[in-house]
Amino acid sequence: MTVTATEICVLTAALLACLIVGSLHLKVNLWLYAMSTLFIALATAAAALEHSETGLFVIAILIALLKSIAIPKFFSWAIDKLHVYRDLGAIIAPPLAMHAAILLFSLSFILTKEIPSPAGPGNGWFGAAGGISLVFTGLLLMLTRRLAISQIFGFLVIENGIYVFALTQTKGMPLMVEMGILLDVLVGVMVSGLLLFKIQKSFEHIDVGQLTQLKEP
Amino acid sequence: MTALLHWLTFLLSIILLPVLTLGTIRKTKARLQNRIGPPICQPIYDLVKLSRKGETISSTMCGVFRLSSLLAFADILVLAWLTPWLCFKPWAPHSNIFMVVYLFAFARMFTLLGSLDSGSAFGAFSASREATLSLLVEPAVLLALVSLGIFFGSSDLRVIFSHQTNQTFTDSAIWIAAGLAIFFSSLVELSRMPVDDPTTHLELTMIHEAMILEASGRNLALIEFAHALKMSIFFGLASQCFLRAFPQFNTFNVYSQGGLNIVGILGLALFVGLLESLIVKLQWRKVPEFIAYILSLSLIASLAAIGAGVIK
Amino acid sequence: MNFFISVTAIPLATVILSLTKLKVEQLRLVVPVMSWLQFGVLTFLSLPALQNNHSFLTFSVDFSIEKIGACFLLLTNFIAAASITHATCFFANEKLVGRGEDPQHEKLYYAACALFVTAMSFVFLSDNLGLLWVSIEATTLFSAALVYFSRDKHSLEATWKYLIICSVGIAFALLGIILIFASSQHGAIAGGSLSLRLLVDHANELQPKLLQFGYIFCLLGFGTKAGVFPLHTWLPDAHSEAPAPASALLSGALLNCALFSICRVTEIIQVSGHSFFATFLPISWGALTALAASFFLIHQVGIKRLWAYSSIENVGIMLVAIGLGSPPLFFFQALNHSLAKVALFLLSGNIIQSAGTKELKQIKGILQVSPSWGITFAAAAAAVTGMPPFGSFVAEWMILSHCGDLVQRIAAGVLLFALALSFIAVSLHVGRILWGKPKHQIAVLPTFSSTLIPLLLCIFSLLAGSTCLPTFFFD
Repeated sequence: MTVTATEICVLTAALLACLIVGSLHLKVNLWLYAMSTLFIALATAAAALEHSETGLFVIAILIALLKSIAIPKFFSWAIDKLHVYRDLGAIIAPPLAMHAAILLFSLSFILTKEIPSPAGPGNGWFGAAGGISLVFTGLLLMLTRRLAISQIFGFLVIENGIYVFALTQTKGMPLMVEMGILLDVLVGVMVSGLLLFKIQKSFEHIDVGQLTQLKEP
Repeated sequence: MTALLHWLTFLLSIILLPVLTLGTIRKTKARLQNRIGPPICQPIYDLVKLSRKGETISSTMCGVFRLSSLLAFADILVLAWLTPWLCFKPWAPHSNIFMVVYLFAFARMFTLLGSLDSGSAFGAFSASREATLSLLVEPAVLLALVSLGIFFGSSDLRVIFSHQTNQTFTDSAIWIAAGLAIFFSSLVELSRMPVDDPTTHLELTMIHEAMILEASGRNLALIEFAHALKMSIFFGLASQCFLRAFPQFNTFNVYSQGGLNIVGILGLALFVGLLESLIVKLQWRKVPEFIAYILSLSLIASLAAIGAGVIK
Repeated sequence: MNFFISVTAIPLATVILSLTKLKVEQLRLVVPVMSWLQFGVLTFLSLPALQNNHSFLTFSVDFSIEKIGACFLLLTNFIAAASITHATCFFANEKLVGRGEDPQHEKLYYAACALFVTAMSFVFLSDNLGLLWVSIEATTLFSAALVYFSRDKHSLEATWKYLIICSVGIAFALLGIILIFASSQHGAIAGGSLSLRLLVDHANELQPKLLQFGYIFCLLGFGTKAGVFPLHTWLPDAHSEAPAPASALLSGALLNCALFSICRVTEIIQVSGHSFFATFLPISWGALTALAASFFLIHQVGIKRLWAYSSIENVGIMLVAIGLGSPPLFFFQALNHSLAKVALFLLSGNIIQSAGTKELKQIKGILQVSPSWGITFAAAAAAVTGMPPFGSFVAEWMILSHCGDLVQRIAAGVLLFALALSFIAVSLHVGRILWGKPKHQIAVLPTFSSTLIPLLLCIFSLLAGSTCLPTFFFD
């Protein structure tokens, strides 16, 4: 069976994302996220070549600029501002969580085996598995971490996974829809990033585990 | 005649390669620190010098101390004969993965016993650290080798490392992942840089060096040589993994394969020298995290191997 | 393009006005007028759709509307206009009880509100699933600003939860939409389509497996936004921490948007005939949600949390209506719920303002304090729990009588139990609020302006139950 360049890039991105779960250093997480997203941009460019679609090139460039440079820059700035460089700890020990992420990575291959393959080169299985694996990794990150900023990272990884899934399973979402999605995600991330500062200001920490004042009695 | 030549080259490489590997690491580090450094063959002179020196043995020691270093050396020699760390070995015996891994552990056990026998406080705590490390890294090494075993359908290292496959993407990926895992876990096994600084002078931070503080003279020479040999065995396995990731490697004849193999070992030594000059030692409590990363590499390799088997 | 301008012109003008240096007092006069104007414009736009039963009114490539969508559009904008009108007097009263907020916050509230309502309008207007998703996500972002209105620790926590949980949920809906898009590329439509109308037309040719997975993910994602049972955790927090007019909007309009999206997707799968997914899943899940919410209602401590859980219960009922494959039934229930629940939230805001607390234990003797509030409050509570003269009774009765086969009958039984339980729980709590002696001094607020809108809403709810309105939808 042949593996296309898109699929190699996607699987690399998924593995890089698995590594995010293994470290508590926020800057390391951010760097890994940026690398993972860069590979997704590369995958998009490769897909553009394979399908010979120019619209995808635009999206690849946008992803590379916005998601793998602008967003990490913004959060890197936020981390410096907040003076929070390490997550306080996770519910599962980070190395174990990383192993779980890798196991989920292989599980996603089993889960996506039955998905009917899209038209075009490659049968789409690896791409789908990479996408679902990214979603799993993001969920794991959101569920195990305590800091608010790590939860945003988790959301970003989930979003990447969904984008990868769309890239490999469908042939060309309408450009307008893609742009709308990208814009929404960007605004959402910015809004939650700004909320981080508010949380830091009024609670003097950004530990979501301690945000329990509204819990039901 | 060729058989004799093979035996001779093999014997020579067992004697010379460990020394050269160690020398290369030291030379690289020296050059990166803007020193000229000792010549690459310096470890040979050191060993010769050590074996001429007299020994100091504490009165509290029993015979275990001397015996343990001897046994560890013998164990490593057996491993050098068993494992396919060089591809031009004259006679390839059957070498089970589990046997190899636990023979390494066996050698380590003797070293531990020796350091405990010396009765010094440093020896005891470094023994405990060494035991912890070996416990943590064992699954990583084992899983990396097992992933190859799964992929090639055999638990015999000889079969695995002489497999002629028509290379695909997954083949190369598994070879590289397993090679990386073996290489990085060898850094832990050999107490090298991110885990332990072999050139440190502070006993409190030592792991391997503190175990052999009490050894001197011929005894020290034995331990040093066994350690260097163990290093070249690990690097040999890792470099073969990397080389076999390239589809062209199988098409070469045995001489160029052997040459590449030796170049690979020395290249890894160069890389280790580079690594040791550029990075700092990890905190002791960060070491498990580092090992976890190695373990995840092995995990990836073995899952890929299983997956490749399923697809086939 | 004309369509775009006509839908967005007034809200954009509102936003610009609220961000200029205009005084808050002036703004309070302008903003309600603007929102009612917007209601008028949208009524004019969607009038053709209301008159025709089964045809679509197309505005531009990705935007069209049909009867039920138009009804929802008007309901949402009506609710929004009512809530904003009440908000102006609500914020004026804040000053009276001595909680002088920063006027800048209030201006921002109006701006975010206008954007929020526009985003909700686009949910009903868009025919393209992708744009529908974008609109839903936009509602989350804009309404986060409303939830964060009071800028204290509690509202911050609620906003964070709301933003994160809903964003992740909606992300799953996006995955579902992508799967549905992929299913359309397998031979049904050349190149695939996200157009809901096309998807419904070609529902039988869609790749069944992808469609089913896509539907499950959509249900999960939009269900999170609607507050369906195990994913509802953000809802009581957000509803309770937002200022009362915003809670009213969240409950009376936003939940409808999420459910409407579910309804549109369900339509596709119902036409394609996968009955397990089309009926069993929403019905059983809806019944479960209603049941769980009614249990949560029993001991609640906060007055707005009480109504939030009641909203979850109603979401369950509406989900059952969707599962029954009857959008008109769904709309009728939504209409009645929205009218009554908005009245309740607005009145609760007044009560919280004058009592100075959200805790149910501290609030007593409202009938003594202000009889007009008390009576309207009782009427709205009766309407929400489904008492006979009000519209919800008719709607719920129709839903229950619609249940035909065994599974549906079991669901109907569960629903009946949940309705009874919630009726008892709510009337217990409401009784405690209305009678008894007021605990501490309660501030007196202007009665007429603070009762007008809720009273009107209650009257509408009464009319919806007692007139021939239902026949307008079921012909």
